[in-house]
Amino acid sequence: MNVTTLINYVLIAAVGGVGSILANRGIAVFNDGLRPIMPEYLEGKITRKELAATSFAVSFGLIIGFGIPVSIGSTILVAHSILLAADIIGTWTPDTKWGTAMAGVVGAIYGIGLLFGLSTIVSLFKMLPFNFLPALSLLGGPILLAFCAFPALSVASQHGPKKGMITFGLTFLAYLLATKFGTFKVDGMTVTLNAIGMSLLVAMIAMIYFAAQIKGDGNSNAGLVNVFSKRVGRIKSNWIWLSIMGGLITASSSMLIIAVDVLPQQLLVKNQVMEAAIATFARAIGFIPLVFSTAIVTGVYGMAGTTIIFVIGLLLKGQPILAFLAGFVWMWIEVQALSATAKGLDKFPGLRDMGEHIRTSLQDTIAIALLIGAALACNKMAPNLGYFWVIGFWLLNKKAKKPLVDMAVGPIAAIVLGVLLNILRLIMLF
Amino acid sequence: MIRIVIGGQMGKDDIKKTLVKLIGDKEVDIFIKNDLDAAMAIKNGEADYYIGACETGAGGALAMATALLGSTHTVTVASPSKVLSEEEIAEEINGKGKVAFGFTINTKDTVLPILVKYLVK
Repeated sequence: MNVTTLINYVLIAAVGGVGSILANRGIAVFNDGLRPIMPEYLEGKITRKELAATSFAVSFGLIIGFGIPVSIGSTILVAHSILLAADIIGTWTPDTKWGTAMAGVVGAIYGIGLLFGLSTIVSLFKMLPFNFLPALSLLGGPILLAFCAFPALSVASQHGPKKGMITFGLTFLAYLLATKFGTFKVDGMTVTLNAIGMSLLVAMIAMIYFAAQIKGDGNSNAGLVNVFSKRVGRIKSNWIWLSIMGGLITASSSMLIIAVDVLPQQLLVKNQVMEAAIATFARAIGFIPLVFSTAIVTGVYGMAGTTIIFVIGLLLKGQPILAFLAGFVWMWIEVQALSATAKGLDKFPGLRDMGEHIRTSLQDTIAIALLIGAALACNKMAPNLGYFWVIGFWLLNKKAKKPLVDMAVGPIAAIVLGVLLNILRLIMLF
Repeated sequence: MIRIVIGGQMGKDDIKKTLVKLIGDKEVDIFIKNDLDAAMAIKNGEADYYIGACETGAGGALAMATALLGSTHTVTVASPSKVLSEEEIAEEINGKGKVAFGFTINTKDTVLPILVKYLVK
């Protein structure tokens, strides 16, 4: 086992362990849906058993239906598969000193098991009679540029189709210009602008510009901060734990073993680290209003905060120690700025509302991109039959009793087909 | 007159369109707000029922409502691992007096007709 592998295992064990401890102590949880339940437990309105049942109900489906399947085929984990599990482990262990220790140990073992399991699956896939890993790599292809379309979609749903089309046009133009004129010489050095980065930058400036036009004098967040000042105080008093967790996640992100979502994960699989950082940042903007307002009313913070720490990790790629320090400091800043930022959002209600439009449009964009990617991947595995499989899988999922989340349908369809083709090959039907 | 507020995070316009279609000509006020203001509307008695969707049916959909109204008033009717049956939903509404409902956006077409059936009589 080389040093990098060892560091990776230590980091993932620490993330799983400390994350489970945070959930066990009610300091932070990853699932936004679990957060409002935590104060009910802390105030004695529900029992530990009910808390555990709720955390299982809201997180388990996402782990096995989204987190793990989209992580299969690469060794980069989607954060959901480890941090949502930490929520469950933390709430299932007893609320005692021993329980906390137990959470730490179980969480660490889970983390190691997950990383080991995924690398084992990758090596197993390579030994199959029909190796479909090369085909699977086509899955993330469309995402590369397609996600630059999300700001236009977000603008359209927030400010109407006309402004959406304008943003779409500007994004398109920015890509063309950056490709055509993006390489120039400065003092003999050749500088190349990243076309995807530039077009996304233009698109996001347009999106923020439109949203900032909506001024307001509301005080919903300020009101919350005042009513729930004790809960904000609780988060601040736990800063050291949150900062340690922040440091660990940032370090893991810098080692490219955890990505915050399937979009940056697929970009990282394609070794597009800068694009992954930009995508992670764009996603974080969408989550800031939700994370902050739920944190204020519950006194329980997000395990990865606003998820900006993932961006910091990617920018400090390959430097886990520096990343740990940067993530530690950044989480401290986030926690300290909690009230001020929330009050600031009141002045720009457009920006606050923008969050939900960003999240919806990102999910739609990713789902479509992964669907097309899955169609390409499946068609490479089994020409023509692949299209039948993916389209049928997508449509039937919509009718299922417990449908998978849209983003997971493409990747799962591709993996299932790959496994199925291997079985068919064994019985000589393929 | 029943007043329904759509909060949550995803597909609010679609939810409104579907609701309008399902409700037909019965007198119901439907308005869309951000999740925070929507939960406040229930708390202040400006609306009777809260409906919201997201990817988990609990997070973006219901987080603020649960935080402000308490989990005794909210229920996730569909999450990625569990979709409540019609009987269970009826019991949550009539038996337990739930007023805020969260679900995963891709179960919209299954869940909304049942909610309308029991909320709008």
